[in-house]
Amino acid sequence: MPNPLTITELTRDLKSLVENEFRNVYLIGEISNFKRHIASGHCYFILKDENSQISATLWSSRFNYLTFKPEDGQKVLVKGRITVYEPRGTYQIDVSGMQPFGKGDLQLKFEQLKDKLLKEGLFEESHKRLLREFPMRVGIVTSETGAVIEDFKNVTKKRYPVANLFLFPANVQGSGSIESVCKAIEQANKPEYALDILVIARGGGSIEDLWTFNEEAVARAVYKSRVPTVSAIGHEVDFTICDFVADLRAPTPSAAAEMIFPDKNELLERIDKIDYNIKIYIKNKVRSLSDSLNNFSNNYFFNRPLDVLNDYKIKNDEQYKVLEKLVKEKITSYKQNLNYKDKIFFNLSPDQTLKRGFTYVLKGDKIVSRKVILKPDDKIKVRFYDGDVNADVE
Amino acid sequence: MPKKKTDIDSFEYSYNRLEEILNILENQIEEISLEDVLSYYQEGLKLLKICRKKLNEAELKIEKINSEELN
Repeated sequence: MPNPLTITELTRDLKSLVENEFRNVYLIGEISNFKRHIASGHCYFILKDENSQISATLWSSRFNYLTFKPEDGQKVLVKGRITVYEPRGTYQIDVSGMQPFGKGDLQLKFEQLKDKLLKEGLFEESHKRLLREFPMRVGIVTSETGAVIEDFKNVTKKRYPVANLFLFPANVQGSGSIESVCKAIEQANKPEYALDILVIARGGGSIEDLWTFNEEAVARAVYKSRVPTVSAIGHEVDFTICDFVADLRAPTPSAAAEMIFPDKNELLERIDKIDYNIKIYIKNKVRSLSDSLNNFSNNYFFNRPLDVLNDYKIKNDEQYKVLEKLVKEKITSYKQNLNYKDKIFFNLSPDQTLKRGFTYVLKGDKIVSRKVILKPDDKIKVRFYDGDVNADVE
Repeated sequence: MPKKKTDIDSFEYSYNRLEEILNILENQIEEISLEDVLSYYQEGLKLLKICRKKLNEAELKIEKINSEELN
């Protein structure tokens, strides 16, 4: 009779056979009965397919490397080794790595966090705050280098240069970025900055590049922000958890600037319109007041004195006409009188007398009116009507 | 969102006041005395000037805030 094996011996043999043979196995299976030990943090669950199952353990140290949260019903790809537990005579898989199977790892993680925060009410519409129409002080959490801050600055400069921008630099990708973004958001909430709006921005990139903004800590920091937030992560097609939590989602960082700032040129147009309308209203007011003034002055009582005045005016005009006539007549009579006198004067002139045959005598240029003026041998001129004759006095 | 008290020198204040004045002139012009209308008008002209000046002459101010905790 062969020597019987002890159970311990058998189990040890099996252990060495199995553990040697299955040092590195990959399994695809569905998680069931997932439990995490509260004190140790180790995880125990069952992996199964349609027909069979295997126990699985995941040590606490490995659990922390997982990029998703394992849940019952999930199909996963597991890497590990088979171990035999001698005290119970059981075998299981010691999991060294695990990832969701089928769906992308990050996609799954995204949906899990989204579900969780949705249930907690972090995306509630009632929590969304309205943004100030004319923001004066706007903070932006983003990388201090790169296109995002430049684009944001340029759009703001063009649209609303009245604003004050505050840049809170943060690492938006890679190790330390979660902490960096959370710190920047916290810093921006300090009352001393008195921000109207806080923009959390990052340029485009792969889902891994944008991942910081799908992290729970960042989402909670955004939710906690007392300053209303605008999330502007990646391109138009990229949605992040941050987008759901923020008060406003902008498709891109430049679009954020366009959404939060009024446009200078539109404002100037509106101001022109106000200018025009104010003037119209004033003009109408003045016109309506002067119209009512006219109504007063057209009133009968106000008009009677005018009538009287008009009567006087008419009378005055008539009197003027009479006066004018009188003056004219007087002038005419003076003129006639003058003509008559002129005629007489004309008849009295020496020329007319000379024509009738009279002459007169000139000595030099002087008329000789008396005989005594002349002495013998004086040269004289006798003036006839038709000319002078020289003569000597005897 | 609790409404912040508006800085009297801000564009927002001037612009909102302008709209207010326009609104008064638009809706209450019948009841307002000529003196008041004219004083609204004067204020309006002043605000129009301020608003235009602010928009046309403003230089974007940007300040970098370094986080002490991180550096």
